[in-house]
Amino acid sequence: MTRSLSAGLAFALLGALANNSFAQAALSTQGFGFPTGQLSSRAWGTGGSIAEVDPLSPVNPATISMIGTRLVNFQIEPEYRSVSSSGGIDRTTTARYPVVFGAIPIKSWVMSLGASTLLDRTSTTVFPSTEPINNSERVETTQRERVDGAMDDIRLAAAWAPATWLRVGLGIHGIAGHNLVAITQSFTDSSQFATFTEERLFGFTGFAASAGVELISKLFMAGVSYRQGANVQMASNDTIITSARVPNHFGASLAYTGITNSSIAVRVAHDNWSSLGPLGGPGFNAVDGWDSSLGADLAGPRFLGRTVFLRGGFRYRTLPFQVDSNTVTEKSITGGFGTTFANQRVLADVALIRAIRTADVPATERAWTISIGLSIRP
Amino acid sequence: MNGEFVLNRKSALTLVALIATFAIAACSEQLDAGKSCPLLCPEQEINLKDTLLDAISTDTTVTGIPPIGSETFLMLSSHHDTVQTRAIIRFDTLQNTFTAANAIDSTISRIDTAQLVLPIDIADSLHKPTGPITLEAYNVDTTASDTAVAALAPLFRPSRLLGAKTFAPESLLDTLKIPISPDTILDRINNGTHLRIGLRLVSAQGFDIRIGTTLNGNPATLRLKVSPDTAVRPLVIQPLSNTPPNQNFVSGPLADFTIVLQGNTTTPVTRLGVGGLPSRRTLFRFNIPNRILDSTTVVRASLVLTQTPNRGVNPKDSVWVFPVAILASPVVTDAGTLLRFVSGAGFLGLDSLRMAPGDSGQRAFQIVGLVRTWHNTTEEVSPNAIGMLSGSEAQLPAQIDFFSTAAPAAVRPKLRITYVPQVNIGLPK
Repeated sequence: MTRSLSAGLAFALLGALANNSFAQAALSTQGFGFPTGQLSSRAWGTGGSIAEVDPLSPVNPATISMIGTRLVNFQIEPEYRSVSSSGGIDRTTTARYPVVFGAIPIKSWVMSLGASTLLDRTSTTVFPSTEPINNSERVETTQRERVDGAMDDIRLAAAWAPATWLRVGLGIHGIAGHNLVAITQSFTDSSQFATFTEERLFGFTGFAASAGVELISKLFMAGVSYRQGANVQMASNDTIITSARVPNHFGASLAYTGITNSSIAVRVAHDNWSSLGPLGGPGFNAVDGWDSSLGADLAGPRFLGRTVFLRGGFRYRTLPFQVDSNTVTEKSITGGFGTTFANQRVLADVALIRAIRTADVPATERAWTISIGLSIRP
Repeated sequence: MNGEFVLNRKSALTLVALIATFAIAACSEQLDAGKSCPLLCPEQEINLKDTLLDAISTDTTVTGIPPIGSETFLMLSSHHDTVQTRAIIRFDTLQNTFTAANAIDSTISRIDTAQLVLPIDIADSLHKPTGPITLEAYNVDTTASDTAVAALAPLFRPSRLLGAKTFAPESLLDTLKIPISPDTILDRINNGTHLRIGLRLVSAQGFDIRIGTTLNGNPATLRLKVSPDTAVRPLVIQPLSNTPPNQNFVSGPLADFTIVLQGNTTTPVTRLGVGGLPSRRTLFRFNIPNRILDSTTVVRASLVLTQTPNRGVNPKDSVWVFPVAILASPVVTDAGTLLRFVSGAGFLGLDSLRMAPGDSGQRAFQIVGLVRTWHNTTEEVSPNAIGMLSGSEAQLPAQIDFFSTAAPAAVRPKLRITYVPQVNIGLPK
């Protein structure tokens, strides 16, 4: 009797906790996932501070006008994450390919088509539980919840430099992608019970438009961009489940370029992630977030006849999806380097990011991310 | 090509290798996490529901399955006035020549010795007889209906005795040999007619012997020594049935079969049975509400039966009882036919239980694997039916009885289903 009462109390406590938590087993992958930031490896190296003046970061369409030749860019970004809580430490590895795009100059314009990850929801949660079947019977289960997929931003951009000190650009964005959610509940007593499995595929369709300006002087470079979100719909099995607005984005970078081949920059950006709120279930809440960063991209020592750029930065931002009604923030310290190869036909950038994500809950997330970008001029 | 280009190329290759290493490492995702649950976990609400349904629309027991000739063993039983069986072995073709020592075929003109060699299933120590047993072989050739019990039973009379032998309990190993009258065999050979032997077990106490069959590849054989020359090997004749003529599909299995002279031939309407003598199987048809079958995910389905004691023969000898899937097309409606076309044991994870005939109480057979195949199908595609049989059917006399749907409500068969209602997964909350 005492044992069953204890079991009942434990279950009730578990249920109460469970009902108050609706997220993935990491602070960063709550809600519709982790915003990778749409930053190039080069920008990552500076903490994101040069993003609005960086042609390889698909945020400010004006910046692509500085690409003087055909260019293909590809980026890989594995993240090694650990989440600490009273239950222990989870260590996971997530593979990301957050930015890919190509650009081509056409007369005095530069056109670009690319895709970047807006929100990456990939995660797997495995946890045991005891489920009641009726008043007298409980069964041991293991629940596995796997989410694959992301919400992606496909951008077609055009930029023009009407003057040496001015670059302007426009972009139209298609929001696409999917989330494949699979839940498996297996039972310890497999002789009686068969595994429960359910899968659901959510597809996203949305649009946005962006505009950007870049101003260049001898000592400073400034970039400002704005993305206006339109409708985004979420569908499952060809049925539209819900719709919301693509988050508006504003960003501004100011870079000091008084040192040859170097820049020291600061950036602020704002995303109104809350516009995605209607996409979730009842009670789902996304919060608007600021993204601030400070960093430098400095021409370093020459190595094998090539200039090696050394980078460093700091970033602080708010993540869009809360944990148990608590906002998640991320602090990052970044470093990196970049150089060219093969007669400057290959541009390689590497960044190392150390991020700490916290919220007002007894869990902390730490991550090492390696961002490797490769740009090739065919 | 200058030195600088070579250096650049080397460096580029190094960089590519480095990137490839990271790319490969990144592809090896390790996503499983859960130690921070339930704090950070989604805990999709998967509630299990449990219900006990009177979902058996019909249940019926059909006696005589498997049909004669389909037995894995010939079961020779003698339990006084409770169970009496006989085994019939047909030798419808007897060769009339043999190969002599000089390698020349010669006509059989004499038979020195004739033996019926019976491979038996080795009895375990618990089932050895306490006293000697006798096996009697009779000539059961008849012009009457040659598979009918009524026609065959009277043929086991002294005037038709071909041979007999008594065996001590310790001699019941793997093969028994019964001497058969050589004159009778020679008469059959000379006249070109067939030989049909009926076996009877005589035992002071109830006993069963299992004899190999043509179906299991180890049948009884007739061993004839046709020459005094020791260099001539004895003839070994295999069972063969040619009747009914021109119907090989029917006549083939009748090379050896068992008939039941005395047994439990009927099952009361309030009961269902599996096994026994003659052997029987039970068919259940289900009527599960669509709101459960089609609109939820069934994770457990238990066919709950109440066993009622059968204290006939060997009430403490337990046997396996198997639920099996019905494989016959839905156009087949006859229960007896349906129960002949069934899956093997363990198909779709169907669970078995071991039980003794004399036991009683509730038994739950797990059939979720089969019930799930009925999801979103109609009876025309997949009949919602299941068969139940004994793992020792036609091999042991044990009969397991359950209460049927005609019994009082408390002991009727029921279907207990545990299911997960449709869940709206995937939306962050």
